[in-house]
Amino acid sequence: MILQIALLAGLVIFSALAVLARDLLKAAISLAVASLLLGILFFIMNAPYVGAFEISVVAGLITVLFMTTIALTKTEGNVRESKAARVAFPLFFIVFLIIDILVMKGLVGKIPAAASTPDQGTFGEALWKMRTFDLVGQIAVIFAGVFAVLALFRKRSKDE
Amino acid sequence: MIFLFIALPLIVAGILPLVGKISKRFLPDLLANGVFAVLLACAVFALRPMIGNGPVVQQLSWLGESVNIRLVLDGFSLLMLFVVSLVSLAAGLFSIDYMEHYGGKANYYSLFLIMVAGMNGLVLTTDLFNIYLFLEVAAVASYALVAFGLEHDELEASFKYLMLSAVASGFILLSIAVIFGLTGGLSFEAVSSGLAGLDVKYPLAVCTAFFILGFGLKAALVPFHAWLPDAHPSAPAPISAMLSGLLIKVSGIYAMTRVFLSVFGLSPALSTVLMYLGVISMVVAAFLALGQKDIKRMLAYSSISQVGYIVLGIGLGTPLGILGGLFHLFNHALAKSLLFLNSGSIQQSTGTRNLDEMGGLAKRMPFTAATTLVGSLSIAGVPPLNGFWSKLIIIVALVQAKHWTFAVIAILTSVLTLWYYLLIQRKAFFGKLNERWKEVREAPFWMTAATLALALLCIVTGVLFALMVKDWIQPAADVLANGVQTTFSLLGF
Repeated sequence: MILQIALLAGLVIFSALAVLARDLLKAAISLAVASLLLGILFFIMNAPYVGAFEISVVAGLITVLFMTTIALTKTEGNVRESKAARVAFPLFFIVFLIIDILVMKGLVGKIPAAASTPDQGTFGEALWKMRTFDLVGQIAVIFAGVFAVLALFRKRSKDE
Repeated sequence: MIFLFIALPLIVAGILPLVGKISKRFLPDLLANGVFAVLLACAVFALRPMIGNGPVVQQLSWLGESVNIRLVLDGFSLLMLFVVSLVSLAAGLFSIDYMEHYGGKANYYSLFLIMVAGMNGLVLTTDLFNIYLFLEVAAVASYALVAFGLEHDELEASFKYLMLSAVASGFILLSIAVIFGLTGGLSFEAVSSGLAGLDVKYPLAVCTAFFILGFGLKAALVPFHAWLPDAHPSAPAPISAMLSGLLIKVSGIYAMTRVFLSVFGLSPALSTVLMYLGVISMVVAAFLALGQKDIKRMLAYSSISQVGYIVLGIGLGTPLGILGGLFHLFNHALAKSLLFLNSGSIQQSTGTRNLDEMGGLAKRMPFTAATTLVGSLSIAGVPPLNGFWSKLIIIVALVQAKHWTFAVIAILTSVLTLWYYLLIQRKAFFGKLNERWKEVREAPFWMTAATLALALLCIVTGVLFALMVKDWIQPAADVLANGVQTTFSLLGF
């Protein structure tokens, strides 16, 4: 229990750091740490596949991509940032915590713990046989992401 | 055949960037608009006869083995597919000329097609998690499309839209997770039958609240509307038309209606909340629209206001109310896309969106002026155009259900709507021609053709409204009026 609370607290702190850190590199590392903690939490809660994906993809692969990008690009002076964010974020966070305590505490107790389902087969079977439609959606999301990057980083053609 | 609506746009979206290497303009124009035309023809000629005897379930198979892709087509999803295909075709044709100066046309159409595939997937699925997934497909494509111009404003608007939309998706996903915990299932029928056997008032209320927040943000209901007046005007005009005409309706109203009416069942309390949200959006956004100088911002606020009408009708929950809401959804999709496309024509010809700088444009752009007038009067609810009938049905339904105050507010808001639309007419098109616009010309062929087609549809739907209601709207309204029974009838499949 204490371990879980510590992990959750760490998750919140590093997620907040990822948003608030001014240095992009520090933000990327905070995100990786947050995701690592989340992955460990998934392992503790008996979801090894999710945990493995979280750690390998978000903590590993994406961090590598971020760092490569940050290393390859130059900073272009200071970006002006509204001071309101510094006040708004903690305020919003406290409001969120209050709602969380009021709502979720009552809610979580009322949700029956999902029975472990060993007879549903392996991860691959579950993905391929039960959630096939999700794969179509996944492909579409990846397409959308790739084309979004192509569109937003395109070179303006010469006739403009 | 039904799966075509998701697969075809996705496949063409995948090959378009390659095609774009061979032909920068012609082939992407042809392929993308070909897809929209094929889908529209499919919806009208192939799918409509299919649902004569109730909903059709399509189970896909892969190499002889059935896989878990199950699509359900009923009156409501058919209506949405029809609207999506129709408006996409108009916006696609408009893009042929309009997107010339943006560059990257193949890429643009790819994103456009993915957005359409996402909306079609959302409409056809019967699984809560798939709803979330396709919501994201359409949303991710739309973020990029809003920022397609790459100017400062567009990037800022896209970022704001991305942030608020992510919050909405977060709440929707959270609610889906709680429901999965409660019922152990994600498909509509599993959730519906699971909830029927449980006494879970409090968790269900929390889920409902999260869904209202999430879908309300997607549909831009007041007070969740802050992103829309930035995002919709900043996008290229055909994308503004798609976002205001379709996306807020599919990912906001369609998803919300499906979940609340067909899966949860509309309780009196929920009905009241939806109606109040509808009325507040209707009135507040109408007043906000009045003060706008930017024509696209005014149209964006008007979208929020009209979405209020739709939610008011559907939230009322009576068969007539739902009918009116859905009919207004259809009419608003046509008219608002038309108006956004026209705002694009004006912007391209004059280089400005500021209403105060325009004036007398009707002399130089007669087609644009005439079609804008049709769209404006349609949304304001002037007979015999289509918007009049749908507003009339909503108001009659309100009176029938003895919601006198709401009925009066709906009528008064309609007057307000007419006022700000007449402001557009007066400032942009009537009066003396501003010296600056002496050289202005009518929009190119495809842009004018697309807007003329939409304007004609507004008039035809208005004149033949009985036919339209009987063939398309009534089957959709019947599905929703049946409530959770519709979902239970899927259990046998």
